[in-house]
Amino acid sequence: MRPLDESETTQVFEKLFKFTGNNLKNIVESPSHEGPDQTPGRYCFRLHKNRVYYVSESLVKRATNIKRDNLVALGTNIGKFTKSGKFHLTIQALNLLAANAKHKVWLKPTSEMSFLYGNDVIKGGLGRITDNINAYDGVVVFSMSDVPLGFGIAAKSTQDCRKMDPNGLVVIRQADTGEYLRSQEDI
Amino acid sequence: MGRKKQKQKVVLPPELPPEVPEDEIEVSDEDLEFVNKNRDYAGFVSKLDTQSITRHVNRVADAKENDRSVNVKEDDLEFRYEKQLRKKSLTTDNVQHEVDLVDALPVKTLDGEVYYRKVSTGSNQSKNANVEDENEDVGRDNGVVKLTKAEKRAKQKKLRKEAKKQAKEVTEVEEEVELSSQADVLAEVEKDLTAEETNEQKKHRLAEIGTSMLENPEGNIKNLKEMLQICKDGDRYILDLGLKSLLAVFKDIIPGNRIRLPTEKELAMVVSKDVKKTRFYESTLLTVYKAYLQKLMSLEKVFGFKRVAVRCICTLLDANPRFNFRDSLLTAVIKNISSTDDVIRKHCCDTIKSLFTNEGKHGGEVTVEAVKLIAGLVKDNDCHLHPDSIEVFLSLSFDEDLRKPETSKADNKKVKKKFYKTGRRNMEIKQSSADEKKKSKQEMLSKTREEVKADYMAAAFAQDLNEKRKIQSDTLSSVFETYFRILKHTMHSESEANESITGPFGEHPLLAPCLNGIGKFSHLIDMDFMADLMKYLRKLAGGSDDVKNPSDRVSSRLTVTERLRCCIVAFKVMRNNLDALNVDLQDFFIQLYNLILEYRPGRDQGEVLAEALKIMLCDDRQHDMQRAAAFIKRLASFSLCFGAAESMAALVTLKHLLQKNVKCRDLLENDSGGGSLSGSIAKYQPYASDPNLSGAFATVLWELSVLSKHYHPSVSTMASGISNMANANNQVYVASISPQQAFSDMTLDKEKFTVKTTQKQSNSKRKRGNRAPLPLAAAGGADKEAAVDENVVRTKLSEHFLLVNEMEENERLRRELDRTKLAVQLYKKYKKQRTM
Repeated sequence: MRPLDESETTQVFEKLFKFTGNNLKNIVESPSHEGPDQTPGRYCFRLHKNRVYYVSESLVKRATNIKRDNLVALGTNIGKFTKSGKFHLTIQALNLLAANAKHKVWLKPTSEMSFLYGNDVIKGGLGRITDNINAYDGVVVFSMSDVPLGFGIAAKSTQDCRKMDPNGLVVIRQADTGEYLRSQEDI
Repeated sequence: MGRKKQKQKVVLPPELPPEVPEDEIEVSDEDLEFVNKNRDYAGFVSKLDTQSITRHVNRVADAKENDRSVNVKEDDLEFRYEKQLRKKSLTTDNVQHEVDLVDALPVKTLDGEVYYRKVSTGSNQSKNANVEDENEDVGRDNGVVKLTKAEKRAKQKKLRKEAKKQAKEVTEVEEEVELSSQADVLAEVEKDLTAEETNEQKKHRLAEIGTSMLENPEGNIKNLKEMLQICKDGDRYILDLGLKSLLAVFKDIIPGNRIRLPTEKELAMVVSKDVKKTRFYESTLLTVYKAYLQKLMSLEKVFGFKRVAVRCICTLLDANPRFNFRDSLLTAVIKNISSTDDVIRKHCCDTIKSLFTNEGKHGGEVTVEAVKLIAGLVKDNDCHLHPDSIEVFLSLSFDEDLRKPETSKADNKKVKKKFYKTGRRNMEIKQSSADEKKKSKQEMLSKTREEVKADYMAAAFAQDLNEKRKIQSDTLSSVFETYFRILKHTMHSESEANESITGPFGEHPLLAPCLNGIGKFSHLIDMDFMADLMKYLRKLAGGSDDVKNPSDRVSSRLTVTERLRCCIVAFKVMRNNLDALNVDLQDFFIQLYNLILEYRPGRDQGEVLAEALKIMLCDDRQHDMQRAAAFIKRLASFSLCFGAAESMAALVTLKHLLQKNVKCRDLLENDSGGGSLSGSIAKYQPYASDPNLSGAFATVLWELSVLSKHYHPSVSTMASGISNMANANNQVYVASISPQQAFSDMTLDKEKFTVKTTQKQSNSKRKRGNRAPLPLAAAGGADKEAAVDENVVRTKLSEHFLLVNEMEENERLRRELDRTKLAVQLYKKYKKQRTM
């Protein structure tokens, strides 16, 4: 386990920024009340076996005591680096993203299942959508009762979405909570 | 004497031989002989009771003399005699001031006397006296006295009667002769009379001409010129009157359509008398009208007459929008639409509004022109106009089907890709799909149909639907051009933060009516503009557009009210376009969230806030849980801070939100851990700027228990009702009033309740129902009394304000002191450094 270096940090932050925008500082600076200390510590990012973890400092301190091979995971896994060095966000980052999302999309109850099976979101399944989304922005997908279902990339801006016909693609799915069942081994 | 009764034809006795004074009578010898011979014949002369005759004649004359206050009455016969004599004396004495010998016909007064009117002015008495001397036989007083009110009234009556009987040629001829002679005579008289009398004259003349014009415009069109003439040379009062009377006349005479002057060719043709008469009438009318308009335009610039001139112009335009010269009238009206003078501006705005609403009168063309002119005005003045000038746009109305051709075009392009897209309507596409024979037959049919339609249209004077649509889309585009220009101007004037361009109307005077107009016409905005519009509105409302400078607050110079209005408009626009997509305006919610904190009752308008709350929170169907909870919490805190009106509005909204979002009722529970919905935020951040990140679920609505002890009974009952909402299991939706209503109710409703606890009631009446912030220190121990003397209140208030003033002064001085101290210190340091 080691902290991220410069390039890695920039990559991680860029990806996060796509989803959260200015709220990124909330992620980085949010106080953590874990641990026995009275004063709240901070959260930080750590890299372990090509996976990036979002973990509180008090936890990190204690985790350094565990041997590298024995340590499986710590804190929240938000993504992993591929063999070629690119960073991808995984489904476990959903909680963090949903709390700080800038662009949101709400799905109608009928199309929730379709999304959870791994399909993309079409316009006919959209219940609501935040204004001023630009194309290729990060978008978090919710159900109508505000339960986060996953996240993806917006295929079109809100303005264009209006003019599209109902079978057009709105969100390209990147991760959804159905993955917990489909790809259990990866996590 | 029996002839007195006969009113009709009076046969004149043959003319008497010329009078010769007795001295000059030379009695010839033959005559003497004759008389001497036939004494008997002359006997009757001696038997004549000269005394009685003279007495009778004198009595009549005296009677007439005594009734001078009414008028001089004349006998039928005597009048004729007199006339004859007068005609003779006309040659000798030109100045016969029978100004008004339109008395050919007698009039019966209320007294039953029949008389003829003769009107002339007082100074004629001297001249009449001369005439008198000549007519000693008659022994009457010909002096005609000054007109009194009764005379004037009767004269008017007479004028009308006389106008009706114009068939009689004799009278007409006589009249005309007398009129023309009178006109000449008048001209001479005017020089002699005093100014007052001239004015009286002119007034009467104006009245005469006016009524004569109304009776028979075609015949008396020349008099219009005279009226105009009077306007030109009179003094100020007469000018006023003249303008107004001309206005009244024109308003009635002017036909509803344009007058086209005959072309050369037509002039050359030989036409009938009637046509000639009409042409003459029309051309005179036009020339006089033109001259009048020019006079009005020139007077408009003169300060003293501005109001009258503008009023005339407005009324003319309003009454006859189709007539000639309406373009110049329109430009003049629109030029004044933003003047600082309230009366003028009101006139112009009212005219324009009535033009917009009565489109039937002028068929929409004037609307387009007016709107374009206003747009030009806004552009030239760089948006520094009075808000009324844009508010007139609110009275525009557009047909709903303005968008139909656009949508049908779009459908055709998408769906029928096979066919040749010309952008025309469905009709042609259908045609192209039919086969040959049917096609030709259909073509024939459609052609005949078109022809019939064209003929019908031409005959029916109805506007072609296409034309109407075109006019309306032109108008709409100019209107929106103006609105967008105003919006752009508002934004740009903020980016140049150092300049403060304050015209006479304040910083952004046109913003409020512009936003109202956009809200009203939002359903007509094209989709493409929607994105730009929302971008502008977002910027104006205070959100930073791009993420690069998150600290760049662009709109710090717009007031809270204006920003609230922007939010309201954004929501209205979005709501009207819900058919396409249900878009959630996150940024505006963030703005509203912050604006609730920034609201101050004295400075900002509570009604706008109430409206914003209603539109954004109450009417919306779905809300983010976190966001709703955040608003609930903030509204509760808000209602603690201000007076009864704002509290009520906030509480109503709160109730609404709680009823709609069931999950938010967790806030009413004592479970401050936040539960499952709080997400990652463990603690409530009261000053967070983003409602989603405030962590409202981690808190409880303790404000409600404080509010249930509010001094105003309705506020307290509502607060306790809300607290019990969780316990009450009834799902029945209690219809509550809207926050706007609540707000307005509470503002007027100041004295209508009885305070539960004994408290000091202040007598100062403020607009919003907020109590004057009496300092508790000053109130001291005296606040247990129920009624307070007003003087005491006043003194205490003045004390308080003095105190506040002093504190401010203190602060200011202290700040200055600090600054100077700092400066001195710096200087010392500098000096030290220098010496070192």
